[in-house]
Order: sequence, then structure tokens, then C-alpha cells
Amino acid sequence: MTQRANTTPDTATVRTLLADGATLTVTATRRERAGRADVKCAAPGDPRLAERMRDVVRLARLTEPRFDSRDQVVVSLDRAPAPDERDWELAVVLADRMVRGVWRPAPPGGIVANGWSDAWHLGRVQGHALRQPPPDALLGGPDGLPHLGLLSGHPDPGAAVSVARAWFPLHSGGAADSLCWVEVAVHPLAHAADDEEGTIAVPGQDAARQHAVRAVLAGARHFDARGLGRWRTTVRFGEAQFSGRSYELALVLADRIARGREFVPRGRLLATGCSDAWHAGRVDTVEGIAPKCALLLRAAQPGDRLLLPRAWQPDLPAGFVGGVQAAGASVACVERIGII
Amino acid sequence: MIGLFKRAPAVEAACELGRSAVALPLRADCAPPRGAPVVVVDASGHARRAVAPGGKAIPLRDGELAWVFHPGPYQVDLVPFPAAPEIGLRTAVAVDVSDPDVVRHRFDLYLAAEAAGRLDAAQLGAAIEAALRRELEQGGLALPPCATVEEWHAFRRGLNELVYMRFGLVVDDCVPVDLGDRVDHAALLAARAAAGEAPSAPVAIPQAAVAAAPADVALPDARALRRLFLELPGLMCGVRLAALPSDPVQFRRQQALLQRLDLLSVGAATMPALGLAAPQGALEDGEQRRRAHHSGRAAGALDEAWALLARLKGAAQDDLAALYDELDRIVANLEHDCAARRRTGPAGDAGDGETA
Repeated sequence: MTQRANTTPDTATVRTLLADGATLTVTATRRERAGRADVKCAAPGDPRLAERMRDVVRLARLTEPRFDSRDQVVVSLDRAPAPDERDWELAVVLADRMVRGVWRPAPPGGIVANGWSDAWHLGRVQGHALRQPPPDALLGGPDGLPHLGLLSGHPDPGAAVSVARAWFPLHSGGAADSLCWVEVAVHPLAHAADDEEGTIAVPGQDAARQHAVRAVLAGARHFDARGLGRWRTTVRFGEAQFSGRSYELALVLADRIARGREFVPRGRLLATGCSDAWHAGRVDTVEGIAPKCALLLRAAQPGDRLLLPRAWQPDLPAGFVGGVQAAGASVACVERIGII
Repeated sequence: MIGLFKRAPAVEAACELGRSAVALPLRADCAPPRGAPVVVVDASGHARRAVAPGGKAIPLRDGELAWVFHPGPYQVDLVPFPAAPEIGLRTAVAVDVSDPDVVRHRFDLYLAAEAAGRLDAAQLGAAIEAALRRELEQGGLALPPCATVEEWHAFRRGLNELVYMRFGLVVDDCVPVDLGDRVDHAALLAARAAAGEAPSAPVAIPQAAVAAAPADVALPDARALRRLFLELPGLMCGVRLAALPSDPVQFRRQQALLQRLDLLSVGAATMPALGLAAPQGALEDGEQRRRAHHSGRAAGALDEAWALLARLKGAAQDDLAALYDELDRIVANLEHDCAARRRTGPAGDAGDGETA
């Protein structure tokens, strides 16, 4: 065997909360396969539980495009959940993806995930059993993570509701800079609506933000020519409170991806930009080029797509484009939306 | 006497050539249209080209198959992303007939290995679309949102190379088009809701849920093995020709990979029959399904290998390490699936202790 360049760490851990309030830690380890089984699972006490874990991992892997038979992944639980409990399934799937580099969360530690599913082979997560979940937990189900593809913002290819996410940088002057997601869910309308803005709901945001989101989406759909009068839309944001307009480009592109009118990036879509003329598809500049570029460079992962306003192009920090490409992502400064 | 002057019957549906049909199979006594290119594949899978003399049948020996084809061009609408059904790429492809001196045409190998009888333009378009989607998912080609002109040109170069390597076709033209006139995403979603969210085609079926009769898996298995048998030598040839590594480390890797491909090729040529565990010992149905599953996956790995070859061709020396790493993964997958296809029982790694 030849030496392989694999930059992902050999071990990943994900925690999950049990019904009795205890924390269970899932540890996944990757090692050379050497003729052994592709997945090996270990759970204290119960061989049937280990079998169920192995089935979950193998089924969830069927949704991945890339198959690598060279590694063995060993997944183990540090304590036994109750016999009928299934909320650990999402944590096992995520640990298996993290250890193989399929999913790379920004801080790789400290993830709490709860969720179960009967359709792992479709990548769907059907629900979770927590009554009072901690605020930063990753929860399966329609109100949290309904589909594994949504971890990188992609819609479920078999669902009747198309949901897509895009990320935009939030700049708050230093250490608290972070990426925030915006999610657009579109349902087909039985009858064409007269008032496009009336079909767009933005729960959890104040009236001014709701109005702004509606105006942006109506304008961008007008530009698209086929977007009006066909959809009922729900827009959600990862953060309840933020200010500024730089989320607009991410919102518009998430909407286009959800409506099936845009090329889909392999990884996530990270965008910043606003516009006074979405009906013309124009992208205007926003503030904060230096801190946002630094944040985007830190966050870029293989397959990600970064979109910035065209006005930023001459002022991009030295080494930014090279750094993004070295991370496996691609970046473009755009003047207008639309394919090509 | 009359027999001397009798004309051989024309190929059935010959007028569809160049429109809906790309290639039509020739029976031994059929006369292809005059001047049409003909591919003759002998029993061991070697292909040669001929030109139809007109009015006369092509002489075929025992075990030889022949196709008559029209070089095209054919226009197909590819949908690069399953999640974006309203965006398409209007693509015109033509069969490469430019160089008659090339001994091995990839298109001939494609016909020999994958065409079962008639090859329709729609069928060919679907195969190109599947290859394109797989490459976009794996990152070999990139077509990101708001693609710039440079990114589009890079995509076009990669697509040309991919379609030439995989199918032996030349991409004449490729432009993004709005398929909104024909495809309505909202209506598709509404139909899914009406069907109770039944899964659509792009998701894979779990192995446990597959419950086909052995008769149904025998044909796909035989086709997959035919592909392995015919394409592995061509693939090795391609890896050898695609790039000459100047770095001795990479050269040794290339040689090691070629050696493994060679062993795989020998293994594919001696693959046991699907239904036999031992001479005169039948294999149970479940095991036959498992074998067919693995031969199908091995054929999928072949697709990846051809796509990788397209990237390997003309790659810079600095990129070779990453590309050989990818080839190492594909070869390992091929070895894994071929070994599983050969096995008669459950995996031999049970001693590893799934639960220990």
C-alpha cells in the first residue's frame, strides 16, 4: 500500500443526550482497512445495539457520492442507552461522516446531536425525542435538520418541500464574528397568488426585517421571470438578532437553489452582498471587507462556493483567493446574479 | 442464378440513424447504408472499423457483432443537477470519426462493452448526463452558482475531455438553457406530495431492500462483467499514456497501480459464473444477488476511473500525486468489489468480531 495524504483527524466525537438526562459520547476512529469489515460498532453490553448501529451507518453512507473501501471506521458508545431509545442515531451518523471528512463542522468538538430516522438510506432525519433541548444542539426532524444534505445547504432530492440554505458572514467587530445561515423553504402553490409578498413568511423576525426579506425575494423572482406566483415560501435565519443588509445575496441564492433555478455548489454557499435593484439582478457592495474576508477564509472548506460583490475585487486582501483555493473552495466577485 | 444478383436486405430502421438512433446492430445478412461507418467487434472484444460498401452485407465471422452508426451530431439536453431540474445544458455531441488511423476508438469500445443492441440518442444522452452528474458530485468538474467566464471555460474543457474519454464523443457545442418551458419544478414537487413523498430515482436503494429474482440480476451482472473484461485493458493503456510522471516516487506509484489493474484484469477474465458456488454446486439466491450487487458497483468504479483518466490527461506534474491518490481509491474499490463478486459466502472478516 502506498502512502495516502489524508488530512482529516483519525478520531471524531459527537455527544448526544439520553432520555434520563445523561450524556452519551459517540467516538468514531478511522484506521487502515486491512481486509476487515468497513464499519465496526461497539456498544457496552448489547450485541443487537451494535448491529443496529452498523446498519444505521451503512444505510446513511448510501447517500454519499464517494465510496472509499480503504478505511475501516470503528464507532463506539461509552454507555448503553435504554433498549428502545433511538435518539443516538444521528450522532453515530455524524461521527462517521466527521471522521472520514465528509462533514467538517467549524469547531469540530462540542457537537451535541439528537435524532432518529427510519429512512437513513434517503438521508432523511425524521425526528428527535428531546423535550427541552439545549439551544446549540443539532436536532433531527422538520424543525431542525430534516435531511443530511442540509448540512451543506442542499435540498432533499425526494421531498415535496424544497429547502435550501446559504451562509453569510456576521461581523460584530472581532471574536464573535461568525457565519449565519438563511434557509428558504418553498412549497408549490395550487393556485397562482396575486400578491407575491403575501406568500412569503419570515417567522421570528421583526416587521422591518420581514418587509425587507419580502421585497428582496419578490424583486429577485421578478428578475428570474419564472419565479412569481408559483410558491409559498418560508424564510428562517440562524440568528434571531442581527443588523445590516449583507444577508440579501445569500437569501436570493438560497431561494434560487430551492426553486431549482441555480447551479448547486458541491459544498456550502457562502455569500455577502446586497442590492437596491434585485429586479435587475444587480449586486451592490457591502461594508467590512477585511474582517469578512478573514472570516470566510477561516470558514472555507472543500467544495464551498464564496460569492462577493464585484466592487470588492480590487481590494481583496493579498493571498485571499489563493488561500480559498488551497482550502478546496472557489471564490467569485459577481456583478449580477443568474447562470453564467 | 438469381441468388447472385439478390440484394441483401437493408438494416431495419436505417432511416432513424443520425436522428433518434446513434447505432443499430447489424445481422450477418443485412446491408448497411452505403458509406456508413461500421464497427465490427470480434469474440474477444477487439473492435475494428469498416465502411459499408453499399448494397452488400458486411462479412461477419463466428461470434462477431457489428453495428452501423451515424456520426451525428446529436443534440441532447443534459440536466447537470438533479436538484435544479429547470436548468439544462444544451449539448451537441458527435462520434469521433476524424482519425481513421487510430487503432482503438473509445466509441467502438463503448459499443462493444455497453450497447445491448440498438443505441438510441436518448439513451446516450442519459449516459452522458449520469457521467456528468457523478463528476460534479465528486468534484472532478465544477459548475458553481454565478460561474465566471473562466470557470465556464474550465468546465467546458473538463466536459469535453470527460465525454471523449468515457464515450469517444466530441462535444461540438454546449450552452446553458432554461428548461422552464418543459419542466415545472413546482409541479414536480406537487406530484411528489401527491405520491406520498415516495423517493425519486436519484437515491440509492438499500441492499437489504433489494429482493429481485436471480433471473433479474443475471443480465446486469453479465453486462457488468463484460464491461470489466473489455474495459480494464483499455483503462490500463490509458493510465500508461495519460501522463508520464517525472518524479520517481510518482512513477513507482503509477507502476504499482498498473500492476494492480493488471491483476484485476486477469481476475475479471476468470470470474466464476453467477449461479455456481463450485462446479455443479448451485449458489443460493441471496448470495447471487449479493454477487450481482458487487459487480454493479465494480462497473460504477470503472465509470469513475474513466472520468479520472480524463483529468489525468494533460494534468500538471504537481497534480499527479492527488490524482494517483484518487486512482488508488478507485483501484481499491475495484479490488474490493471484484473480491466480493468472487466470494461464495458472507464476508470472511466475520472473525474480526463485528461486536467485539
